[in-house]
Amino acid sequence: MSMRHGSLAVCVKDHFWEEHAMSKILIVEDEQHQRELYAMELQEEGYQVDQASNGKEAVELVKNNKYDLVVLDIRMPEMDGIEALGKILSRDKKIPIIIYTAYSNYKSNFMTWTADAYITKSSNLGELKEKIAEILASRSK
Amino acid sequence: MNRFFSIKLSFSLLPEFLLISGLVVLYFYRYEAGGWFFPLTALAAGTYAIVRFFLSILTRARFYSRMQDVLSTINEFKKGKFSTASNSGQTGKGPFSSLMSELSVMGKHLENILSTQKTEISNLRELYHNIVLSISSFFIALDEKEEIIFANESFCKKFQYELEDIVGKKIDTIFIFLTSTIRESIKRVLQGHEAVVLEKTHLVSANKISIIADIKLTTMVVKGRTQVIFVIDDVTAICKKDFQINLISQVSESIQRDDEIDSVLHAILIGVTSGSGLGFNRAMLFLANPRDKALKGKMAVGPDTMEEAIKIWSSVSECGVDIYSQLKSYNENKEGGGKLIEKVQTSSFSLKDEANIFVRALNSQEHIHVYDAYNDERVSEEIRGFMEVREFVVTPLVSVNKSLGVIVADNRFNQTPIGYDNIELLSIFAFQAALLIESYNNLHMIKKEMGKIRDRQEAMVESEKLAAVGRIASHIAHEIRNPLVTMGGYARRIVQLARDVPKTGESIAKAATVVLKESERLEKTLSNVMDFSRASHFIMEFNNINEVISDTYELLKNLFQERRLKVDLKLDDGIPLVKSDFNQMKQVMLNLFQNAIDATPPEGTVTVATGANGDRITVSVKDSGLGMADDDIHRIFEPFYSTKVTGVGLGLSIVKKIITDHNGEVSVTSKKDGGSEFLINLPIPK
Repeated sequence: MSMRHGSLAVCVKDHFWEEHAMSKILIVEDEQHQRELYAMELQEEGYQVDQASNGKEAVELVKNNKYDLVVLDIRMPEMDGIEALGKILSRDKKIPIIIYTAYSNYKSNFMTWTADAYITKSSNLGELKEKIAEILASRSK
Repeated sequence: MNRFFSIKLSFSLLPEFLLISGLVVLYFYRYEAGGWFFPLTALAAGTYAIVRFFLSILTRARFYSRMQDVLSTINEFKKGKFSTASNSGQTGKGPFSSLMSELSVMGKHLENILSTQKTEISNLRELYHNIVLSISSFFIALDEKEEIIFANESFCKKFQYELEDIVGKKIDTIFIFLTSTIRESIKRVLQGHEAVVLEKTHLVSANKISIIADIKLTTMVVKGRTQVIFVIDDVTAICKKDFQINLISQVSESIQRDDEIDSVLHAILIGVTSGSGLGFNRAMLFLANPRDKALKGKMAVGPDTMEEAIKIWSSVSECGVDIYSQLKSYNENKEGGGKLIEKVQTSSFSLKDEANIFVRALNSQEHIHVYDAYNDERVSEEIRGFMEVREFVVTPLVSVNKSLGVIVADNRFNQTPIGYDNIELLSIFAFQAALLIESYNNLHMIKKEMGKIRDRQEAMVESEKLAAVGRIASHIAHEIRNPLVTMGGYARRIVQLARDVPKTGESIAKAATVVLKESERLEKTLSNVMDFSRASHFIMEFNNINEVISDTYELLKNLFQERRLKVDLKLDDGIPLVKSDFNQMKQVMLNLFQNAIDATPPEGTVTVATGANGDRITVSVKDSGLGMADDDIHRIFEPFYSTKVTGVGLGLSIVKKIITDHNGEVSVTSKKDGGSEFLINLPIPK
């Protein structure tokens, strides 16, 4: 339903936004409410959004779909973000990944995993949205 | 005696005298009557009488002469000349001849006795002489004025005196010094006490011959006058062995006592010099310093002058070596040697100067015995001037083929030649000292390493604790932030969606905004408290750093007292205000204070000073603590862990972070064991 909502939004965008609307984002977050919130907000921004509730699901989805960007939480059941990051990157090195977590101090550790960005979770999604736009813009060039 | 004889002679001739006088009377009387008978008879009688008279005179004269012979013989006997009797009175018969022959026999007899006794006496004398010569004891006899009246040959030989030169001289001119015990003893025996025996006493003659002797003092009365007899037995050799064994055992013992190395080395030097008659007069220790490439004077033992030497020697008991009591008395009295110690301790010889005899002994690892420094080419002018002595010995301290230094020893004052046994003793001590220094160095290194390991371990435990706290805090932050983010996120969404709702929309948005703002506030608090790695949102205002320091000090006052630390605040009231976050600055001071407290042992001082320097204000926090090694200084501002979570007491990395955020600089200077000083400067706003 939310996907339909997203595609509806795409219809009203102009050509520039259409291109962006083509951007497919995977949200990996175990907390359902948060995940749904991000999905809603990002779909309203015109992105196509898929959701995964843990690392394992994310890895499965990445296997079968092509995503333009992954937003990855760290602490999740079954498979955490760190493991998932490694597995995703081992499949597709070029896929941009944004770490989005409630931890404020994993930054230095994740540098080694070459995540594209590190953002501490906030109720204000502005920072996340800006980062996504920035990364996708640089990729589309 | 002649008169006696003449009287006696005239009495014995009386009958003849009477007869002749009768005949003369008769002749003159009868001649007048005539006849021939009377004149003839008278003539015959007269002739007889005359002949008799002359005969008797002759006889008496002869008797007299014989008598004279006997008397002279007796006189000769009286004089002890018995042999003369045999020469006269041998001729003729009669009582005198027999008397004379008796006398002669007697004389011969006496002479025999005498001559036998003479041989016996001379034999005895020879024996006595042999005995005196064969025992090594020296004899001297003094009169009541303590002047020498006799000295035996061995005494003269040992102390190199001619008998004539010392007879009549006072005893204290023969010996350089007499210990108080000897003086006392002379007085005692003169007062009629029994013999006194003084064991192991040091004697040094005026011509610098030094021995250890057992002295027996007795008195002897000769012709009514009291003489003091010294029987001196040279026990130097025996003492030397005892002394050496004793010394070695004591030094080994002191090594085992784990004393400070300096006091043990000092004990060794004292050992080498103690027992003035046995050891050396002076001993100096030089240690090689590889870093400075120099052989440096470490310590010395020995007097500066002859007077000092005598003072020390006459107070120190011989052989009864107790290095520790000597060391103690040495430290307490500082008995002389001040100049020597100073000279040695300020001396330094370059290790590159291989011509230097000390360096040469060090490099060759063999002792060098210099007999005549002034004519020995190996000895430089520098060393001659330094030693001021003709004969000395340099012994290297060698441990495991490594030369650590040298001991230089001499007999500057009593000028006793340095014997092989002295050198041997010195070598033993040098070996002991080398071992000691080596093991001390090893021990020191191990202790240092152990200390480092312990410190690291403590630091690890400490940082592990901090990390644990950090992990917990981080976990809590994560757990709080997650629901906050959800709450805030939905509240924001409500605010947005409510705008489209008629009538109640505004009040819904208002209510949701409250939720949103509150959760944002909580998020911010969480960030501020927990998240130092993100650029902090400082509240920049104009603050007086002095106030920050006073405030922080008040906070930690009790802790300082508890640790018995003195805090010296040297705050410059005139410093300008700086633009800063008060609480952040407080955090900086708190961490620096905490750091100083941890670094400073009790009774130490922490000095905090502020001041202005050009366009910056400076804050200095100085402790009198342990200081840091160079390695530590470079890493001190690094965080312990990359997962470090901010909070109270997370150390100097926070200090650096805050100061850097304030456009300031922080640096540290530290000396090992000399404390550390943290220096902060902050820009003064224009």
